[in-house]
Amino acid sequence: MKLHWIILIMFFLFLLEGTIVTWLIPTGWTHRLIPHFVFVFVLFAAMYAGRHVALFLGLAFGMLQDIVFYGHIIGIHSFSMGLCGYLAGLLLEYRRPPMLTAISVIGMGCLLLDTVVFMVYTVFQINKQPYVWALTHHILPSLFLQLIFALILYIPARRWFEGAFRKNSKEENEQAQL
Amino acid sequence: MFLMLIGLILFVAIMGFSLSDRKNLSWPEKFINDSVALLQSWLYKPAGYMAGLFEDIRTMRHLYEENEQLRTTVARYARDRSTYNYLKEDNDYYKSVLQFTEAQKNQNNYEYLIAQVIAANPDAYNKTFKINRGSKNGIQKDMAVITIDGLVGLVSEVSPITSTVMPITELNAQSSFGSKKISATVSGKDSFGIVESYNSETGQLMMSKIAEDDPLQEGDMVITSGLGSVFPRGIEIGKVKSKQVGDFGLTYTAYIEPSAKLDKLREVLVVKVPDPEAEGQKE
Repeated sequence: MKLHWIILIMFFLFLLEGTIVTWLIPTGWTHRLIPHFVFVFVLFAAMYAGRHVALFLGLAFGMLQDIVFYGHIIGIHSFSMGLCGYLAGLLLEYRRPPMLTAISVIGMGCLLLDTVVFMVYTVFQINKQPYVWALTHHILPSLFLQLIFALILYIPARRWFEGAFRKNSKEENEQAQL
Repeated sequence: MFLMLIGLILFVAIMGFSLSDRKNLSWPEKFINDSVALLQSWLYKPAGYMAGLFEDIRTMRHLYEENEQLRTTVARYARDRSTYNYLKEDNDYYKSVLQFTEAQKNQNNYEYLIAQVIAANPDAYNKTFKINRGSKNGIQKDMAVITIDGLVGLVSEVSPITSTVMPITELNAQSSFGSKKISATVSGKDSFGIVESYNSETGQLMMSKIAEDDPLQEGDMVITSGLGSVFPRGIEIGKVKSKQVGDFGLTYTAYIEPSAKLDKLREVLVVKVPDPEAEGQKE
């Protein structure tokens, strides 16, 4: 699997987030279960392809969401997805964490992303609700959605990224052994 | 580290710039909007139909009740229709007697554009959605977007073939776009107030600047008043849930439950208000 195929898959996920997922979520939960499927892929990239790839993917797809759904402010998703992807990459780049660690890192990454998004909206005074409200209203419910999605796609996504970045990771392993 | 710092500053600059009041989108934004929207529209509509099918099966049991309800509504409609025709004739007659100008007569001749929703933003703080009509169809910024239930939102950004709609739940005195004010009144009463913000915790709109001796009461239907002529008049906003003394004790604030359903929209109507200046030039 080449990188451009992965980007295509992520773009497709981005399209899903705004369209089909909206219809799958039960009424009343529409803005409480927020899909971050693209961001889950950014975290996969951080673990298996390196922090720079994650940074690039996060910035690009965040910017796409910001532009397409421009409401109050541009750059918020781009900033938070890029930052969180990069931080996750700094922690776990090429470490090949076991599945449970990987899933919990994805969970924590999603928490961090929602927190950063919340903080930026609060700084610009668009959001006036307290953090506790945001936490129970949408951050925790959507965390479960992300975890389920990550569990389902863990094995294929890992294979895709390892296929795309086999050369790099081999070199890294050799360096590590040396 | 240094690079990250530069990135941070750059992002703050971009956000600050996008927060300011912008008239138009730049061309890369328009291009991305339209091309992505094309792909999204292929996905949203079929998904909507599928979901609608399941919903229909679920609501099959309520069909009888609904039918009963609709029958009474139709009866009421037929009655109202005859009064309407009579009133309209009267109104037209008075207008001709009073020698209204063409522009004045056309003031309330709104044009309704049907638009399909193509995507909704998965974000809790910015619930915009996209519709498949753009500047080529004559859509402009700040036009009102409604469904048959009532007011849904305002057009916030326009691209050639698509536009972005900001729902009324994003009204917010702080943000540059959200700081739109909708002048409102109560149907059948001489009342005035401004709808300008939404509380996402309670799910209610806030209507402020209501005078002390205003006849507004709980349970009243709030509609747009059309003052300022940017916004069409007579569109339902919602029902008054409670009324309180406002911030400085001089005015009242009413809390309104929006009447339009705002999620899982399929079709909306964009209201085109006739431009008084353009009408004046025609004469």
